[in-house]
Amino acid sequence: MTKLKLFLQTSSQLVVSCGIILGCLLIAKLTMHFIGGSFPAPILGMLLLVTLLLSGIIKEAQVIPFASPLLSFMPLFFIPAGVGFIEHLGLIQQYWQFITATLILIPLTSLLLISHIIGYYKGRAQHD
Amino acid sequence: MINYWWLSSFMVVGLFIILKRLNSLSGNSIIKSLTNPVFLAITIVAALLLLFKLPYKPFYQHTQILSWLLEPAIVALAVPLYQQFVHVRKNALLILLSCTAGIINATFVGTVLALFFAAPKALAASVAALSVTTPITLLVTDSLGGVPSLAAAMVIFIGVLGALFGVLFLRFIGISNHQAQGVAIGTACHAIGTAAVLNENVSAGAYASVAMALSALLTALIVPWLYPFLYQALL
Repeated sequence: MTKLKLFLQTSSQLVVSCGIILGCLLIAKLTMHFIGGSFPAPILGMLLLVTLLLSGIIKEAQVIPFASPLLSFMPLFFIPAGVGFIEHLGLIQQYWQFITATLILIPLTSLLLISHIIGYYKGRAQHD
Repeated sequence: MINYWWLSSFMVVGLFIILKRLNSLSGNSIIKSLTNPVFLAITIVAALLLLFKLPYKPFYQHTQILSWLLEPAIVALAVPLYQQFVHVRKNALLILLSCTAGIINATFVGTVLALFFAAPKALAASVAALSVTTPITLLVTDSLGGVPSLAAAMVIFIGVLGALFGVLFLRFIGISNHQAQGVAIGTACHAIGTAAVLNENVSAGAYASVAMALSALLTALIVPWLYPFLYQALL
């Protein structure tokens, strides 16, 4: 009886969590459908959920049951799309200098800029 | 003829679980970055498709269930963003400013390089949102008319580079402040870089997590407006 109760409790928590996440996604999709434009709906959904969490309308514990497994397996979900680069091997071969330059210069300049902004306000060295 | 493509999803899931398990066995951050399960899984699946001359489209169609799950997973990113935001509220403004500067810089450098190398429009759009975690890159690059898969592969590669050399580079230029190291690597080298920083220092790792989560949000808000403006102005 206790096991059944625990199972029902866990299942209902999972359903509520799933409902909140899918609800945010649905609201975001409907909003983008009516507004139009190219802003990605899942990101609008994320923004909506952050707002609900920060305002205290939704508690973190209510979202965790479905969010936790989704987040831990998230990298798996972009493998199929990531493999798609094989469709553009010609483009990569033709513009390999450009691709190499971006792979090096974008992170390098960002690291330099951000670390110097924070270093300017908080100091470059670590003071423990 | 039997359609074997329906095995694709199971193969990807199985491969990912095995690679994740192998990756977790190592305690060394350099080996951990080089054996990143997403990086290896994409490389192995791409190599298999090319080796056996198999087309990509049926593979993608039969693994669509995995791609669909990406959307609720992106919504779920609100949870780490909320958790980290609560912890660093004190420095929120400075982190917000730094992440914004990093994202604008990444889009600007990508567009200038596209101009310099006379890259086609689709390729220029593919490098506009590289300073962010992969799922957001996929969405933003798609909305800009770029090649999402190419952008995803580049983002993962930048993450591996950041994990290997990020902290070393920052120490080399005299930055040892954990907050500066964490925010810089979290913004520029996202999840893979953040994992490596977390291995080195917990405090820097916490800042890297915040910066990574915040960059995801800021990229989605800034780049779709900034890139068309820069493209019109520069190209």
